[in-house]
Amino acid sequence: MKFYVEPLSKCTQRLGSLSEIESKPTVNIKTPAVMLHTQGGQIPHITHEVFKLVSRKSQILQIPLAGMHTFKEAMQYYEGTISSFIGSKDSLSCLTLQDPCNITKQGHHSTLKVPIWTKNGKVYYDAKSYMDVVESFKPDIYFLLSDGDTNISSSEKRIAKSVSNTMNFYKECLDRHRKSDALKHSFVIAPIVGGYKQISRERYISFILEDMKNVDGFLIDGLHNNGPEAEFLEFNEIEPIVRCILNKIPTEKLRVVQGCWNPVNIINLVELGIDLFDTSYCHILTERSAAMTFAIEITDQTNTYEINLRDSKYVDDFQPILIGCECLSCTKYSRAYIHHLLSVHELLGPILVMIHNVYHYLRFFEKIRSCIQNNTLQTLQLSITEQFRNHQKTK
Amino acid sequence: KSPLVFSILTECGTSKARVSRMILPHGPVDLPVFMPVGTQGTLKGMLPEQLEELGLQIMLANTYHLGTKPGTEILQKAGGLHKFMNWNGCLLTDSGGFQMVSLLKLAEITEDGVRFQSLNDQKAEVMLTPEHSIEIQNAIGADIIMQLDDVVKTTNPDKERIEESVHRTTRWLDRCLKAHQNPDTQNIFPIVQGTLYEDLREKSAKDHIERDVRGFAIGGLSGGESKDDFWKMVHLSTNILPKNKPRYLMGVGFAEDLVVCCALGVDMFDCVFPTRTARFGCALTRKGQLNLKKEQFKKDFRPIDENCPCNTCKNYTRAYLSGIVTVLPVACHLLTEHNIVFQMNLMKDIRQSITKGKFPDFVRDFMLQVYPTKNYPSWIIDSLSAVNIKLK
Ligand SMILES: [Zn+2]
Ligand SMILES: [Zn+2]
Repeated sequence: MKFYVEPLSKCTQRLGSLSEIESKPTVNIKTPAVMLHTQGGQIPHITHEVFKLVSRKSQILQIPLAGMHTFKEAMQYYEGTISSFIGSKDSLSCLTLQDPCNITKQGHHSTLKVPIWTKNGKVYYDAKSYMDVVESFKPDIYFLLSDGDTNISSSEKRIAKSVSNTMNFYKECLDRHRKSDALKHSFVIAPIVGGYKQISRERYISFILEDMKNVDGFLIDGLHNNGPEAEFLEFNEIEPIVRCILNKIPTEKLRVVQGCWNPVNIINLVELGIDLFDTSYCHILTERSAAMTFAIEITDQTNTYEINLRDSKYVDDFQPILIGCECLSCTKYSRAYIHHLLSVHELLGPILVMIHNVYHYLRFFEKIRSCIQNNTLQTLQLSITEQFRNHQKTK
Repeated sequence: KSPLVFSILTECGTSKARVSRMILPHGPVDLPVFMPVGTQGTLKGMLPEQLEELGLQIMLANTYHLGTKPGTEILQKAGGLHKFMNWNGCLLTDSGGFQMVSLLKLAEITEDGVRFQSLNDQKAEVMLTPEHSIEIQNAIGADIIMQLDDVVKTTNPDKERIEESVHRTTRWLDRCLKAHQNPDTQNIFPIVQGTLYEDLREKSAKDHIERDVRGFAIGGLSGGESKDDFWKMVHLSTNILPKNKPRYLMGVGFAEDLVVCCALGVDMFDCVFPTRTARFGCALTRKGQLNLKKEQFKKDFRPIDENCPCNTCKNYTRAYLSGIVTVLPVACHLLTEHNIVFQMNLMKDIRQSITKGKFPDFVRDFMLQVYPTKNYPSWIIDSLSAVNIKLK
């Protein structure tokens, strides 16, 4: 897999593509892109079969290890890749450590080991056991092991530990990658840790710059502890540290952030030159029965930012979630029906909300790319920011 | 034009089984058919688009649940359940009575109807009368609707009470037929009662066939009675019910029961079992059920069933499903799809074998797959031999 991007400058919006994928030569993913967040190999509420009703385009599935730990043993015997095992052989897979939708509990770190939370509780991975899994999964893209358990209030001691752990992981994982035949086509993303301390981030980056062969991209890790809180992070708090990192890392490589960033912060991060995100925001919204209704185009007929379909005012509202939206939910189902499904706890309720949310989010990313192309990203940013602010006020 | 046109296509030369077609306002239904249950206007996480794709022609919805939520007012505003849930195929609704009696401990039956304490905040006493049941079912707008019947547990031995229920059920049928507002678009089916008393069941069936209706249901079975009693009552009922109208056996859905009851001349079935069991990680196969949670499937890279045409079997292994069943909601969708396809395929095979004049062979092959050592339960041997199909 190759990543091409332009322009090659430090902190500006950019357009790129992931292509020349060995197993899928016709696939070409345009960036800024959004990976489909999965749990246990499935987009929450939407099977791969149903997703085909949402979009037929090739996608990258973000596969957090936590939900896949249960298959660790089975995968050693399975002959195919993780994509085909989870029933989506035409998708690209990106194996990640933590699940952006679930809070990474703090204070469980250990020297040279990282905890993840599986359905059976806490499990530790070290570089060797992690790379064993990566080798048996054979993902198209994967994150190297990292200790990213930091956020804006982390202590210096915690940050120092996170940096030293991750330095060790970096060396050991890369060593293993270079020797591995199964991973010779896998695209490697190196997490960058160091919390909100510029000097720690710089220290970590200069360490990896010494030997970056086989590293294809970077994950800006350690900004938050995942889970719903990431939605409400203030951009001015994260901006300096993101800028500091982007100023130091090579511009031609893929830049990734994880987490359920709200649309305003997505645009802000795109403006700084981030290339890859995930759909965890769609899932977090769906869990609270909320559907995105913010306008992407000025022609979109909406005056709300998001709506909560559990609200009893929708009980006899036979309009679609978003008038004019062409997703399956909006073309075939009413707010009243979805409200009914949610209020009687039927499985189809969150399915229909999630279909709309994913569709809307994918459309939002398409718009971002076309705005970069036309040099109008700032207009979009102003519009989304205003809608977001009005929404915050009415809450 | 009649809202139900029934025509028999082929009769089995040996048993009472038949292949027929029933044309309802929302399309044709090939019989014998299994109807999955979509209680609250949705089928366990399956999109109507997917069900259509599978070729599903008819499903069930529950009047008691839909009458409670969203309620008749919303359903009327929506233009009926078909439109509300975006399902263009056929629908059948029950009367609500059975669910009320089984779900609510406080239900009491009087000549007027079923009296119960509402589950809403006011805890008011409410009455479901035959007229009210039809009113709700008219609002839902299903192609086939059920009369309110006086349900007595099959295990209740009190013959006097059962006799009362038989007569009352017929009286209620007449009230339902009178209250029915949409005779041109919805068909009321009477329900044959009488639990396990032959004379009472005969009386019930004979009373009902005198009414102007387009099909019949056999009720009050599949409620804990012995299999020996069960098949005899089905056999007796189909002997009395006219051949030129469809016969619906309520609450039956296990594969063996379906095969036997088709042989006894039943055309329609429904049961929550295939979809309910999916939620617990259970997949149906001709050789029996697979509980995918079991350790033995953790490294089993075969599909649930190599011969199954469903998407789940095409795309997923037992090993993968084993790790997600009961953990992810989507696993329930995947197994539901498989189990519905399993039921539909079984019915298709039954229809095809009758059409080809090979139904008795099909029954023997089917039973041999389930009982490879031929240790057939006596009720299966007896019921099939009552319609001239000999196992062994
Ligand atoms: Zn939509
Ligand atoms: Zn299947």
